[in-house]
Amino acid sequence: MKRLVKNMTAMQLSIYAVLLFSFIGSMYFINFNYGFYDDPIVKITEATTEQTQEISDMHGNEDALFTQQLQGDIQNGEFKGKTIELNNEYSLSGANDYEYHVGQDIFVFIDGAAEDGSALAGTIDNVKRDKYVVALTWIFIFVLLIIGKKQGFYSIVSLALNAVILSYALDIYIQTENSSLLLISSISILLFTITSLLLVNGFNEKTYAAIVSTMLGVFVALLLAYFAIWTSGGNGLNYEEMQFLSRPYEVIFMAGLFIGSLGAVMDVGITMSASIFTLHEKNPDISIEAMKTSGIEIGKDIMGTMTNILFFVYISGSIPMLLLYLSNGATWPFTFSINLSLEIARALAGGLGIVLTIPIGIYTSIFFIKRKRAAQ
Amino acid sequence: MNVLIILAFMLCMAMVMIGGKKGAISFLSLFINFLVLLLTVFMMSNSDNDPIIWAIIACVIISCVNLFFINGINSTTVAAFLSTVITMIVLLLFIFIMTDLTMINGFGEEEIHELTMFSLYIGIDFLELAAVVIIISTIGAITDIAISITSPMREVHIHNPGISRRELVHAGFSIGRDLLGTSTNTLFFAFFGSYLGLLIWFKDLSYSLGDIINSKVFSAEMITILCAGIGIALVIPIASWITAYLLTRKSGAVK
Repeated sequence: MKRLVKNMTAMQLSIYAVLLFSFIGSMYFINFNYGFYDDPIVKITEATTEQTQEISDMHGNEDALFTQQLQGDIQNGEFKGKTIELNNEYSLSGANDYEYHVGQDIFVFIDGAAEDGSALAGTIDNVKRDKYVVALTWIFIFVLLIIGKKQGFYSIVSLALNAVILSYALDIYIQTENSSLLLISSISILLFTITSLLLVNGFNEKTYAAIVSTMLGVFVALLLAYFAIWTSGGNGLNYEEMQFLSRPYEVIFMAGLFIGSLGAVMDVGITMSASIFTLHEKNPDISIEAMKTSGIEIGKDIMGTMTNILFFVYISGSIPMLLLYLSNGATWPFTFSINLSLEIARALAGGLGIVLTIPIGIYTSIFFIKRKRAAQ
Repeated sequence: MNVLIILAFMLCMAMVMIGGKKGAISFLSLFINFLVLLLTVFMMSNSDNDPIIWAIIACVIISCVNLFFINGINSTTVAAFLSTVITMIVLLLFIFIMTDLTMINGFGEEEIHELTMFSLYIGIDFLELAAVVIIISTIGAITDIAISITSPMREVHIHNPGISRRELVHAGFSIGRDLLGTSTNTLFFAFFGSYLGLLIWFKDLSYSLGDIINSKVFSAEMITILCAGIGIALVIPIASWITAYLLTRKSGAVK
């Protein structure tokens, strides 16, 4: 232990100390932050399931409904410390309802005194999830730091930075009238690429080549996706699942498509430039042809897994909706065209970006190396 | 003409032109994975089948496709396969605890308005489905890192046959750490992109910070992103240990 402390620099020690303090501080705060909420929060002290009812719908789905009697203490506001009684109805499947347990915190509306006058009555509004989200964030930070050390730290910083950039860009989009989302996301994409790649690789030619090939890859893929939509007149894309937006969802879909593929394209861009620069460093006289051939070989190895990563991220989220449609007697073709068209389009266009970045990355890196050689 | 068909055609052309035979196999694997997912959804739509078990089966088949079909069966892909399956089961357990605690089961506020014509009582456990969604969304990334760790580790072992198990694990860790930054980035942006609509919706509603962090949709997004990140980090030690064990065990047997 002593040796461990000795081996750490003052910088490292202070980082660990700050982390530990903010961990303890935020966990304490999030568990006792009731006073910061305006809506009344109840901690459940008693939960009894009273009625059970077997049900089946017209499609032959069988489920069960339960009625739950809850009792809890109000944690904040003018009724703090008072007891409240709540009713809850939940189903076995839980598509839009929850079974509550003793010890959970929930937001409620207070309706007034209960019938017998001894306690308050109310209705359940929402679950208090903040402490779990914060706790999981800390688990994430610690796992990445313990396993990834310095690289883990950079991943966390890059995630946080990119989240801030995204949030700020969306604020600009929402607050400015007639602002163009595509322009805003193009600028954000440039910022995302520069911050992420600089953080991972530092300031050097390799990073510059990767940044240029990422930008080219993303915009070529964007042009091809526009071309595909333009030639087909948008036929085959169903925006039903984006209908909750009160904004032009075609543009939001396109912007999401390009932000979504950006990480994968960056990954390919940096892999290509790093390996081509390594070839050049190991053998400064290597021919351009040899670099191209090796680059293509590396590209072949990564294109399959990279396109698969995007595919699963996009499609997976639709599974509950697909099941709901199918269980409600919808046909497979209808279910797919409503719920999967956007996800598949995203996965395909993202894949196109990944695959095209392979040659783009090779030629960009070679261009940078040629320039370097000419300068020498 | 359908957009999806044009895009699929363009992707197929690009993959074959750049990747040749391997490109064609990669495109085919994408298609097979899609069919596997459809089959999984079909099996889950029968409420007698447990979604978690079918998700595990799907993930096993998907990692077989991604590893054995694209790269062939050899000691590297077998080690990657074992690492993927173990990571997935550990992660699934963790995710299930998280989804249970946070109650992110079922549909989000933005979806539920459109669903009034549907019967929501379909007898499928949505709490399990919430965990299934997260694990399937990360399976592609987990197999990717597993193979990217095991294959250079084998190279290290071939070039230094006398290397100890500890040194080999160390090599695996350092290879994995170099992948961590770009792989987490890949996943983060993929999630950012698919949640863009929801984020704009949240901003439009001008929710307070407290409303956002406690809402089901936002916490579900956060939990997905964080669990995916944890999964990517977890596969590094698991793949390093398993590969080091398999490689040194084999050389011990030869001696």
